[in-house]
Amino acid sequence: MVSLKEKFERIVGADHVSDGAAERYVYSRDMTENPPREPQLVVMPSTAEEVQKIVRLANEERVPLVPFATGQSVGGLTIPQVDDAVIVDLKRMNKILNVDEEGMYMVIEPGVTFGHVRKYLDESHPDLRYTYAISSPFTSVIANALLQGLCDLSTRYGSMAEFINGLEAVLPTGEIVRVGSGILGDDNWFGRYPLPDLVGLFTGWQGMTGIVTKMALQLWPKKPFTRHFALFTFGEFMTTDLLKQIVRADLAEDAGALSFSVVKALIGMPAPIEAIEGEPDYGTFLTLSGITSLELDEKVRVLKRIVDRSKAEEPKNLLIPFEAVARLMSEEAYGWVDFPSDSFKQLTEYDGLTWMGTYIHPKNWGEALFKGRKIVEKYGYELMAFLKPMKGMHFCEFKFIIRFKRDDENLKRVHQCNNELLDLALDLKAIPYKTPVWSAKKLHERADPNFIELVRRIRDLLDPNGIMNPGRWGL
Amino acid sequence: MTSDESVIEQWLHSCVRCSNCKYVFREYFPSCPAGEHFGFETYYASGRIWLAQALYKGDLEWEPSLLDPIFACTTCGNCEIQCLAPHSEHIVDMIEELRARAVQEIGGLPSHIRFRENVVQCHNPYGAEHHNRNLVETHSLPLQAETVYFVGCTSNYREIQIRDATISVLKKAGVDFTVVDEYCCGSPLIRTGQLAPVNEAAQHNVDAIRDAGAKRVVTSCSGCYRTLSRDYPKLGIDLGVEVMHITQLLKELIDKGAIVPRPTEHRPTITWHDPCHLGRHMGIYDEPRTVISKLPVDLVEMETTRENAWCCGAGGGAKAAYNDWSVETSRERIEQALRTGAEFIVTACPFCSRNLRDGCSEDGPPVIDLTELVDRFI
Repeated sequence: MVSLKEKFERIVGADHVSDGAAERYVYSRDMTENPPREPQLVVMPSTAEEVQKIVRLANEERVPLVPFATGQSVGGLTIPQVDDAVIVDLKRMNKILNVDEEGMYMVIEPGVTFGHVRKYLDESHPDLRYTYAISSPFTSVIANALLQGLCDLSTRYGSMAEFINGLEAVLPTGEIVRVGSGILGDDNWFGRYPLPDLVGLFTGWQGMTGIVTKMALQLWPKKPFTRHFALFTFGEFMTTDLLKQIVRADLAEDAGALSFSVVKALIGMPAPIEAIEGEPDYGTFLTLSGITSLELDEKVRVLKRIVDRSKAEEPKNLLIPFEAVARLMSEEAYGWVDFPSDSFKQLTEYDGLTWMGTYIHPKNWGEALFKGRKIVEKYGYELMAFLKPMKGMHFCEFKFIIRFKRDDENLKRVHQCNNELLDLALDLKAIPYKTPVWSAKKLHERADPNFIELVRRIRDLLDPNGIMNPGRWGL
Repeated sequence: MTSDESVIEQWLHSCVRCSNCKYVFREYFPSCPAGEHFGFETYYASGRIWLAQALYKGDLEWEPSLLDPIFACTTCGNCEIQCLAPHSEHIVDMIEELRARAVQEIGGLPSHIRFRENVVQCHNPYGAEHHNRNLVETHSLPLQAETVYFVGCTSNYREIQIRDATISVLKKAGVDFTVVDEYCCGSPLIRTGQLAPVNEAAQHNVDAIRDAGAKRVVTSCSGCYRTLSRDYPKLGIDLGVEVMHITQLLKELIDKGAIVPRPTEHRPTITWHDPCHLGRHMGIYDEPRTVISKLPVDLVEMETTRENAWCCGAGGGAKAAYNDWSVETSRERIEQALRTGAEFIVTACPFCSRNLRDGCSEDGPPVIDLTELVDRFI
């Protein structure tokens, strides 16, 4: 009788399958407070064809599969939700397959990280750029796009899922499919339209509808003239109002606002960081760019005018060129705006990291931030809010990050804190993103039941044997 | 090891598994030979740290399947350079403590146990006949001298050209030196968690060096250098003399004019491989480069160098227990060297020399020790 492990070994080779205690432990949990569950095996395919064979075997054996790219979701999203799951670790699929200069897109595999994209483009296509997240530089680009995460072009263009031109995936029943213009060939990944937009069958589904093996993502030309500014502001409502004005004027390519505590962490203050009376509440890093210096200068002039106008209400609001920040805090500061992933190191103080993040209607943004701050303060955690105006101010993002020691007491307290933050967010009709299961279940309670039923029906249609990440998103 | 001294306990809540340890910061070259080869999260520093924590807290039971993730690591320390978390400079210490606990709980790997037995019986991990003191007679060395050349087992029983070149250079430079009846410094045992026999061997070395009336010890092995300098004090062993690596002494001798390289017609192009135990573990990067700069050679650096240098693959007991992977790792380094166009790969560690040579194809560049290179030009 051939064991399940041997069957997987026949597909990917014995060196790329493990049922060892070490692998079962490490893949059973992540940095968040979400409860662990051990998989029975970890397998590491290197091609779409191997993924296909894995999925077919899983159907034959009725074995649940959990896709894993780099494990940096900060939402427990690679933790199995049922027993005896098999983790499909995709990091061996790490090739940048193509960069199309004229169509301005790249085609990559799931193990490709932000850091590797950055290096490759800088070296081989220096006139093009991708967009980077405040996550570890070694976060999977595809995973972040599928999970609709945000990045340093989100202020202008929206969540990273917007940048997907198309993809290739292995369906839960084992077929390899393509969606987007790439259905006409490998050199044709220019976009998603005009077609039934089936990219949506994979984005936001947290790996329940298949395993994406290839994705085409948009790139942008680098603007020749760029300047960065730091804006220090006071109060949640005034800060969000000012950001709305700046972004609606279409001045900023990126506007990432942080609690001042995060700014202090960036300059090297040791944890735990406490707010000091009288200091600004928020620091926003703004990126302005232009095709000509004249265009950039004009944007800077309008930005200064908007900030000056805000001083009628809050005279202490302060806009300073980023050069001044760098002089104060070292040249490393340029890394925060040039490649935000570099700043993630500030979140590596403890073994625990979590957040409750949402996308929210602009009208509720300030209130969410104001009330959320009170909740975090009540639980005694550092105030580490992160907010971003999204897609030209069509919507907004806010999240409260908590870095914590993963001991029993903190795991419980952090969960309670995130629970309260989620209740607040849902009261304000915010949609939680990268949702852990507990969070998705709370969303289900308030959401249109027909939407949840539709999601369930689509999932069941695509995955009749229920092998793809069962239990995920509370389904 | 008591709980109070546990470096695992000290950093029990510090690794968030952000993956920074996996790649060279901002360069994105791979940094971890084990992770690159084995691929599972458990073979990167962050995975090992989480295993160490789990075993320490009792969340995970000891069992034999843990041995590979614990021991398949060259302890090259590249993860320490790339990690940006507060525990960064303690990662290798955590891995070594984890190994010591593994040896206590479930025993070590068979190949490691073998060289522990050899050290106990023959005073060297190779099980070779102990003959170190014969060198005194062979080379007409004094019984006592200001400098003791601590040969190291690998140079004395395997890579003897390094030993011979070192002795030749020291003689040509007029250094007052001798060798003593040295036992294995203990590095292979410390790196593989087999601490029990180390103190006795170390104490023997202390006595032998003291009896030679030495004021300083010089090693041509980077592993011995690290062990005598860093590990002995942690074990409570006081050598009572200055410890130098040969690359430091060579620089000193050149600076003083005791070594004067001859000019040559053909200036070979060489590349320098930073041994992990010399570079990342001990911070010696400039001295060998200074020595090379005084020789009639042209140095071309590889794409990963100094703190970010790719490991040769031999350290941490990897060569003994995982030879195929160890040699595969050295091939990566050879590929980097080939891309420089160098005629020679020069290094300063017998383990690196051996493994880089094992990774070289027949038409690959020769691998030589810095002492051999210097000896050719004086």
